Amino acid sequence: MGMITLTIALPLLGALAIGFIGDDRRNVKVVALAASVAAFVASLVLVWQFDVTDPNLQLVERFTWIPTIGAELAFAVDGVSLVLIVLTTFVTPLILLASWDDISDRMHAYTAAFLILQAAAVGVFAATDLLVFYVFFEFTLVPMYLLIGIWGGAGRKAAAVKFFLYTLLGGLLMLVAILYLYAQTGTFAYDAIRQVDLSLTEQRWLFVAFVLAFGVKVPVFPLHTWLPDAHTEAPTGGSVFLAGILLKLGTFGLLRYALPLFPDATIELAPWLLAIAVVGILYGAIVALMQSDIKRLIAYSSVSHMGFVVLGTFALNVTATSASVVQMVNHGLSTGALFLLIGFLYERRHTRQIAAFGGLAKRVPIMAGLWLLVSLSSLALPGLNGFVGEFPILLGTFQTNRLAAVLATFGAVLAALYLLWAYQRMFHGPLEGADNEHTTDLRPREIGVLVPFVVLIVAIGVYPQPLFDVVEPAVERVLVEVGVSDGLPLEPAAVTEEG
Amino acid sequence: MAIDWLAIAPEVALTVTALLVLAADLALRGDAKQLVNPLAMIGTVVAIVFAVVLWAEAPRVAFEGQYVVDSFAVAFKLLFLGTLLAILAISARYFAEGRYFQGEYYFLLLTAFIGMLLMPSARDLLVLFIALETVSVPAFVMVGMRKRDLYSSEAALKFFLIGVLSAALMLFGMSMVYGFTGTTRLEGIAQALAGDAGSVPLLLGSVMLVIVGFGFKISAVPFHFWAPDTYAGSPLPVAAMLAVASKAAGFAGLLTIAFVAFEPVADVWAPVLGVLAILTMTLGNLVALQQRDLIRLLAYSSIAQAGYMLIPFGLARPGAEVVNQAAVRAVLFYLIAYAVMNVGAFAVAIGVNRRTGERSIRDYAGLGTRSPLLALAMTVFLLSLGGAPLTVGLWAKFAIIEAVAVEVTVFGLVMASFLVVNSVIAFFYYLRVIREIWFEPAAAEAPRLQPALSLSVVVVVLMVGTILLGVLPGLVADPTVVTTFATGG
Amino acid sequence: MLSEYLPILLLFVIASAFAVGSLVVSSLVGPRAPNPTKLAAYESGNEPLADVKGTRFSVKFYMVAMLFLIFDIEAVFLYPWAVVLRELGWFGLVNMTVFVLVLGVAFVYEIGRGGLEWD
Repeated sequence: MGMITLTIALPLLGALAIGFIGDDRRNVKVVALAASVAAFVASLVLVWQFDVTDPNLQLVERFTWIPTIGAELAFAVDGVSLVLIVLTTFVTPLILLASWDDISDRMHAYTAAFLILQAAAVGVFAATDLLVFYVFFEFTLVPMYLLIGIWGGAGRKAAAVKFFLYTLLGGLLMLVAILYLYAQTGTFAYDAIRQVDLSLTEQRWLFVAFVLAFGVKVPVFPLHTWLPDAHTEAPTGGSVFLAGILLKLGTFGLLRYALPLFPDATIELAPWLLAIAVVGILYGAIVALMQSDIKRLIAYSSVSHMGFVVLGTFALNVTATSASVVQMVNHGLSTGALFLLIGFLYERRHTRQIAAFGGLAKRVPIMAGLWLLVSLSSLALPGLNGFVGEFPILLGTFQTNRLAAVLATFGAVLAALYLLWAYQRMFHGPLEGADNEHTTDLRPREIGVLVPFVVLIVAIGVYPQPLFDVVEPAVERVLVEVGVSDGLPLEPAAVTEEG
Repeated sequence: MAIDWLAIAPEVALTVTALLVLAADLALRGDAKQLVNPLAMIGTVVAIVFAVVLWAEAPRVAFEGQYVVDSFAVAFKLLFLGTLLAILAISARYFAEGRYFQGEYYFLLLTAFIGMLLMPSARDLLVLFIALETVSVPAFVMVGMRKRDLYSSEAALKFFLIGVLSAALMLFGMSMVYGFTGTTRLEGIAQALAGDAGSVPLLLGSVMLVIVGFGFKISAVPFHFWAPDTYAGSPLPVAAMLAVASKAAGFAGLLTIAFVAFEPVADVWAPVLGVLAILTMTLGNLVALQQRDLIRLLAYSSIAQAGYMLIPFGLARPGAEVVNQAAVRAVLFYLIAYAVMNVGAFAVAIGVNRRTGERSIRDYAGLGTRSPLLALAMTVFLLSLGGAPLTVGLWAKFAIIEAVAVEVTVFGLVMASFLVVNSVIAFFYYLRVIREIWFEPAAAEAPRLQPALSLSVVVVVLMVGTILLGVLPGLVADPTVVTTFATGG
Repeated sequence: MLSEYLPILLLFVIASAFAVGSLVVSSLVGPRAPNPTKLAAYESGNEPLADVKGTRFSVKFYMVAMLFLIFDIEAVFLYPWAVVLRELGWFGLVNMTVFVLVLGVAFVYEIGRGGLEWD
């Protein structure tokens, strides 16, 4: 059994073990944490085994699964999936640690849900069989649905159903597309399907099906309406996992599947996706500006930030596309940390209305400091991680499509506006009201959860090169397959005629 | 002129058991009457053993080709017998505590299943018809078993009237088919249809009559309206029997007659059944959205499921061997998956209902705390019915779409897209139940539930089966691959 | 092909016409002299005890009728078997024994359930 399988199996075994633990809450938490940390360790071994110079999928592991249709449990990693796997295994133990005390209702199910989510997400990133990919991709729905529905806020029921149905519809479209590919090739293996020749019409339809499925997950602009509700109503841990990992399933899927499988359609339709991404960036930012609920504000900021990732992906040059992978990690870290902070604040005050807070910096200096740092990372201040993702995306996009880059820059400016404005309203100004007076600062455990995030935020901001080194070969490989990378900037209009 | 006893061994085993059950019921008094249940179970297990033996022996041809035991038939027989075992287990307490006619119930149940066992083996119109009636007639009585209950009587009357009407239509169609082709053998009919006879409009009309008759049995729209009232009015184990086994028997018969006898005129009936598939799943799902009563919800959901299973029929084309075989396989796999998850859902409903008489969806509030086992199981079954990943339900839908993908046609894609849209609609109401179970607090007076041991065993086995087949669909998919029709020579 | 059935159709038409026709004609032509005795319901020469229209048959009649029909029809199967008894040999005997045994179980059940008791 290889390391990838182990990374997937350990949390699942943990979830199974939890089923046999009696009523002792402490044991449940310890077992869950141990399982997710063990998976993290396994993923670090994976990093150690990984050959950075090899752009191809490596560390292949395959098991027979459904012989009659030739589906295999096949896993492998390239730079992109490796980075995202480590992000997943890194975030999950911290989430469990963050909700160490505040979840008391049905602890077994809660921790098991996160372990299953962790395994499923790693499965998505590592799968090299389209059917395996689909199964893991869809299976993330069920635990997340229960997380939102059972432990969520006031509007949790509607939000949970909305989340489930939106993503399900997208997923089923993808299933039909996958089966169409299967009918053409007789296999579900990623490597074999990449070789198949499809007419432009076929590519267009399949590309649209895949993009719809991933677009719901990302979410791109007109398909995003489930996200604010889901984020707002989910429990803190759920929000962190949703923002940190689940949204990346969409952008990862675009990069791994939509682009290389349908190169001609990608080149033809890339301008449309750039347009959609830009609309998402600006729309998310403007709506975020108008929110009175801090969690909703961050949710809309996710729409905007994920727009940058889509923008970078479809700019189709190494600079922008690699940066968009880095930006996936950055968004996971900074938005995840923001949701954690919001969760800690909510535990103290049981409100998320920005107007209810004011002058908190005087009472909770540590929280205020961390909040500011994470906000600055999210708005891409140079020296922090957000910058090293967002800036190359804009740079690369500028080579491809100037208008899109210029418009997206406004989104970055707006991000500074809504994040800092929210920070200012909550933590500065006069300290009024008994509630604000009595808010207590972060406890050691809470600080302990946030420190790893902060360390990475600063580290990637100061020295991002190792991350780019891992990601770039894989991205270059994808772009070669699309047929656009010899380092040359791409003029979409010109290439359309070739396609 | 010797009889191939092994070929009909499962049926004989059930027949003997049924007679023993009847005699035992007469001989036993009071609580001892409950012994008929284990007696019936033993008989079923014996029949299963024979069926497994037959799996290795298939194909066998008996009664001059009127009766064929091929892997298709054995697969169905195992499906029916497995369902029978589960239904017997969930019936035990239900009937013992309800003071119904226990002996008669088990006798009728076994008799109905004898009919089902005959169905997939029949290669003659008459055998097919007798099998169908052997399923139907006991069911009429079983539905009305709670004879002091108005709803039960209403259910029985509606079911009886519709059942008789459909039987009459089918028989009328069969007699005309016989008139035109001069044979009741399915093979012979196929030969005649492939020749000149295939173009006579009246003959095609009678083919449609036969198919309509089966349409009632599988509750396809527009022949579905008896189902919700009947399921809701019958004793719950009977409802489970009708929703799963009887429907599967209808499909077994429809598959045989459509793909063996009427295959040469597939271009006539396939579009009709395809349109019915679309109507059935859409209407079933839309009406299910409105339901407040769990049994009625399951009834409409099972109508919708029948719609999904009709899709492969819409793909059939005369002479297209590969497409037709893929269609048969898809239906068979779907039926197996459907049996596992739907019997499971009914079992949980019995577990909740038997103690409390509750069946409104609202009454499932807080089931997660009242009985974690039943709650978890119901969640798995409903997710599977919807087609969620890592449950067998996903692979069932997968099998259908796979059949569509064998040879992509515009009509096939239309049906597949209806399947996709309907799956999403269906999740809407399945999730409503799951929401009640987990997200709502239990009512203050709601008791904790302690399901009977036999029921718990059934629920656990089916739940494990749902997940196991969800992870490793190959366990069933592989044997069904070898499923082809042996002809009656 | 359908024209072969024309004589049968004609037969049906003529038979129906004759039946309906004779009824119609007799009611038109026949003499009528009703009196109370003629109009009274016939009940074996006795005065009718109750209003005939309102009487319901006891369900027991249905029971007996159904049982008679079932066993009567089962018995009919014995006749063709008896005709070819020698040709069928042991095969026929064994099968008919099974048939009669199954019928016997049903008969025992019927007695056990009290299906043949009138009260």
